[in-house]
Amino acid sequence: MQAVINTLRLTLKELRAIRRDTVMIVLMIYVFTVAVYLVTNAASTEVKDLSVAVVDEDHSQLSRRLTDAIRGPLFLDPVPLSPEAAAAEQTVGNYVLVLAIPPEFERDLRSGGSATLQILVDATAVAQAGNGASFLQQVLAQEISDYADPGGDSAALVDVVYRTRFNPNFTASWFTAVMQLMNNVTILTLILSGSSMIREREHGTIEHVLVMPIRPVEIVLSKILATGAVILLGSVLSLTIVVEGIMGVPVQGALWLYVLGAALYVVAVASMGLMMASFTSNMGQFGLLVIPVIIVMFMLSGGITPLESMPAWLRVGMQFVSPSPHFVAFSQTVLYRGGGFGLVVGHLAAMAVMAVLALSIVLARFRRVLAN
Amino acid sequence: MDLVAELDGVSHRYGRTTALDAVTLGIPAGVMAGLIGPDGVGKSTLLALIAGVRRRQDGRIVTLGEDMAQAGARGRVAPRIAYMPQGLGRNLSTTLSVRENLDFFGRLFGQPSEERAARIAMLLEATGLAPFPDRPAGKLSGGMKQKLSLCSALIHDPDLLILDEPTTGVDPLSRRQFWDLIDRIRGHMPGMSVIVATAYMEEAERFDWLAAMDAGRVIAQGAPAELRAQGGGNTLEEAFIRLLPQSDDHSPVVLPPREDRDGATPAIEAQGLTKRFGDFTAVDNVSFTIPEGEIFGFLGSNGCGKSTTMKMLTGLLDPSEGETRLFGEELKASDMQSRLRIGYMSQSFSLYTELTVRQNLTLHAELYAIPPETRAARVDEVLDAYGLRDEADMLPDGLPLGQKQRLQLAVAVIHKPRILILDEPTSGVDPLARDDFWRRLIRLSREEGVTIFITTHFMNEAERCDRISLMHAGKVLEMGAPAEIVARRGAETLEGAFIDALEDEMGRDEAGAEPPVYNAAPRRRSAARQALTRLWAYSWRETLELMRDPIRLFFALAGPVILLLTMGYGISFDVDELSFAVNDQDRSPESRALIDEFAAIRQFAEGPPFASFDEMNDRMGQGELAVALEIPDGYGRSLHLGEVPEVSIWIDGAMPFRAETARGYAMGLLQSYAARQAAETGTSGATPVDIETRFLFNQAFRSANAMVPSLIMLILMLIPAIMSAVSVVREKETGTIANFRSTPVRRTEFLIGKQIPYVVIAWGSFWVLAALGRWLFDVPFSGSLTALSGIAVLYVIATTGFGQLISSFTRTQVSAVFATAVISIIPTVNFSGLIIPVSSMSDTGRMVGLAFPGGWFQPVTVGTFVKGFGWSEVALNATVLAGFCLIYLAVAALALRKQEA
Repeated sequence: MQAVINTLRLTLKELRAIRRDTVMIVLMIYVFTVAVYLVTNAASTEVKDLSVAVVDEDHSQLSRRLTDAIRGPLFLDPVPLSPEAAAAEQTVGNYVLVLAIPPEFERDLRSGGSATLQILVDATAVAQAGNGASFLQQVLAQEISDYADPGGDSAALVDVVYRTRFNPNFTASWFTAVMQLMNNVTILTLILSGSSMIREREHGTIEHVLVMPIRPVEIVLSKILATGAVILLGSVLSLTIVVEGIMGVPVQGALWLYVLGAALYVVAVASMGLMMASFTSNMGQFGLLVIPVIIVMFMLSGGITPLESMPAWLRVGMQFVSPSPHFVAFSQTVLYRGGGFGLVVGHLAAMAVMAVLALSIVLARFRRVLAN
Repeated sequence: MDLVAELDGVSHRYGRTTALDAVTLGIPAGVMAGLIGPDGVGKSTLLALIAGVRRRQDGRIVTLGEDMAQAGARGRVAPRIAYMPQGLGRNLSTTLSVRENLDFFGRLFGQPSEERAARIAMLLEATGLAPFPDRPAGKLSGGMKQKLSLCSALIHDPDLLILDEPTTGVDPLSRRQFWDLIDRIRGHMPGMSVIVATAYMEEAERFDWLAAMDAGRVIAQGAPAELRAQGGGNTLEEAFIRLLPQSDDHSPVVLPPREDRDGATPAIEAQGLTKRFGDFTAVDNVSFTIPEGEIFGFLGSNGCGKSTTMKMLTGLLDPSEGETRLFGEELKASDMQSRLRIGYMSQSFSLYTELTVRQNLTLHAELYAIPPETRAARVDEVLDAYGLRDEADMLPDGLPLGQKQRLQLAVAVIHKPRILILDEPTSGVDPLARDDFWRRLIRLSREEGVTIFITTHFMNEAERCDRISLMHAGKVLEMGAPAEIVARRGAETLEGAFIDALEDEMGRDEAGAEPPVYNAAPRRRSAARQALTRLWAYSWRETLELMRDPIRLFFALAGPVILLLTMGYGISFDVDELSFAVNDQDRSPESRALIDEFAAIRQFAEGPPFASFDEMNDRMGQGELAVALEIPDGYGRSLHLGEVPEVSIWIDGAMPFRAETARGYAMGLLQSYAARQAAETGTSGATPVDIETRFLFNQAFRSANAMVPSLIMLILMLIPAIMSAVSVVREKETGTIANFRSTPVRRTEFLIGKQIPYVVIAWGSFWVLAALGRWLFDVPFSGSLTALSGIAVLYVIATTGFGQLISSFTRTQVSAVFATAVISIIPTVNFSGLIIPVSSMSDTGRMVGLAFPGGWFQPVTVGTFVKGFGWSEVALNATVLAGFCLIYLAVAALALRKQEA
């Protein structure tokens, strides 16, 4: 009982420390508001506003019709260019797609000859080029068949009804917002928890605490609780006020369940931050260790590219060492699919196990590290 | 009389606190001038202003005839001043050896190597450091550190030597050697002026001229004899205390005799305590028995094992051998009960600066389990007893050192411990506050029977102990009552007895008698050569420090490789093996044919079929299923009848990119299926247009070809930035920034010098990453390697410059790392073209991306790797990146002040 009370008292003290750190608070407010907003609005892997140029050497009614068919929201308004200009502009990355309509295209088509349209894709834009090209292809095919057989029944053999579960318009902003939140939580939690330990060690205050009738576990837990509480609060406020309120991204699913999962994630990440701090002895080392960890945890969480695309060793490895793939899977299920507790219990358990493991390592190393 | 420094109406404020209040003072030249006074009266501020390391706020300061308000004058006078800041070896780099530290200072003054070598040899000889040129400064004892600091101050024959409390925390022998050394040097450099601030009044007796300060004002000045006469006392200390306006209690501290209780269990019993760290024995077989209520003084130089012994007594450290008994019970590290009996006060201030005085006391009362009903009363009692009532709601940072120490003592006794362990509680505290502190200790011992174990460097404090012990190099040399030890050593004073004991152990004065004066005419060097030498001083030091921190070096080199390997394999937009399942209600050959279409391509991996919507929904809900196909009953039949049957495809939209790709695949597949069916059945309708898609620059449409070059951009942004982010701010935290402020080094020399090692490492990483990309990830390289590697240099200069920029603005390493991570990761990952092409970003996104170097370097890496770019295509990027380098350097230089505020 005394242990619980002590932990809470130390937590309160940690919270006071965070409150007095202006730089930290400013950066936290920034990531939970501006950064989330900016990234959600401006960056996503969905095909949207793709830049297209058209090299129209036909100048026919059909070629104009095709050009007009390239529209938002998938594409930006196409820019007419000469072949040379198009090649140059595409090389420097100004256009992802270039549609080339050859001379005499309409006449060839009318005369029943074969005509070829060419789509040039900047394949270095891998995230959007492939899908963009196939969408453009469909748009053009549709337009041409309308032209060839105006008002006619489209010659589809099978009528395919596409239905999307959970996110009908493939709106990536839902996803990007939640992933960006996770990214922020990862950055903030790892650095805050780890540095709170290194700072105490560098300033010698931890020694003072250790002669008091307090167990290391109380110190460690209080740091996790304080860091976790602040960041959890920040991310929930960000989700409800910034993401849902200001950006109007609807958030489905049970908020309490999301908060529970986020809390577990924060605890797991904070424990890992402390663990990394126990393996390093100054901020220089810690900074260099924490950056790759943050990047890998975020980029390979399944939030940016699907886990299925990773080689098996890496996928399994990530699921074993990092709580982030579990949190991504958990968030998708809860926030998009409206899934209940039963569907995510496995991910929650995995994050809890990681937190416990990291904490045990911290506690095992605690005295030894501080002695030096 | 010539004056070395003149102050006229100099005032200085920190926020609302006034440190100096219209001080007008002339400090005589060519003598030893001392500043004495309690703590926090402005001595350090005054010295820093004279040295020009602090920015003048008000009044006129003339040092060595130059007006310190002007930057030009400060530049001229800097090479003639040596400034040794407060704090033991604070301006030394702990990982550098003795010689390397001195080399560094020599370079800061632009000295050529032969002059430096000669001077260093001479100084080491003169200070007795000659036997240890290769020992890291961090492993020197306190006295040796102080000598090394002095050497570094004397390396350029200064005309004015400014020493801020140079002997605080140093043992008596080292202290005496230190002053002898100063005397000897002055004997050979008669023109040199010395200004010293000190808390040791007995040291001040030997100075030529003194200024006594109180509350930001000079209250008396003149020769020591004059001051004694003014104050009316036998010693300077007495005179000084009487000169203070507010002093009323200046009765001497008396120690009433202790009642000996025979047969009582001793409070502390240490038996053969030994502590080894690796093969270094910090404490070697130390034993003592301390009866209850005794004040036991523990003396010895810094680094002799005192603090380690104390840590073993408090249970912070487990001894390698031996044991400690407190009141007869063995002390174990995890024993909570024994901790309740101990009050501990560590050497540095270790309370929470974010809590007020009262909050600190209350927190400790709570943690020491004082029952809630008596807690408030106890806190009030302690506030009154330790005179902290008026400061109860202030933060500790705003208190003078003496009051902070009182607060620490109050915290240590809040739970009424039976044993107090105090590690140098009075270091740096002025005489008055020290006396006050000791009266409290004596009261605790004599009235409440508290056993006190205390370390100190003050001999008059040692004399107030019941018994003392002297420790050196892990061993106890002497133990007994002070008078007993003096008698045994046949000395006149306790100080003499200790010096005798230490000299027995270490050998007599090991310092050579040779004067450390460099007689050769210094070779003249051009200003540019000197500037380069100064710049090199920082590069060389930063490199050595990095080399001596193998963990940091390892992370710096391995981090980029690990990142490229994991992300190069991990980030792939090649969507393969999408899990897909079918609910075939038709079970006709036609439906089977359609399913086969899906199963045939590698992008879809067929799982077990599902039977109902609910099952599909569930599986998709758990993320097991990405695409589901439902073929209704009668599909084959209606197909034959020429009707258009309907099939449903369900796609999991929770991961939009995957969903889009899956839909794209499904559409393409159905299109070709329809076309084939049409051809077979002869139905018309297929358009004759062939839409051909050509993938440029990356024909195979491999993720790696685009991602690996982009990842090189990302990695070379983050790792170099975080490496350099701590470089400047670390100096601010450890105090070595004082060297930058007090020597002629310029801001750009300092910044570029520190940046060079990181640029070299980052550029090395670039080659490793490029090679991995080319041969491990098999990305074709088609452009100009000289263009790529040349621009990579600019890029890593920009990214390390970014780290330094943050470092110049922040005050702690934690906030530097934090700010660098937050500010660099978010835009570089999202807006520099790594994943989303810059051309399809919103205007804000594009602008954010282009505001960082990454957005300009990404087209260069991708272009030179797969688009065959040469210099002409990337000239603009190179120019902009060079601009980033300059802007970051300029802003960092502006943020970095040569003078402290």
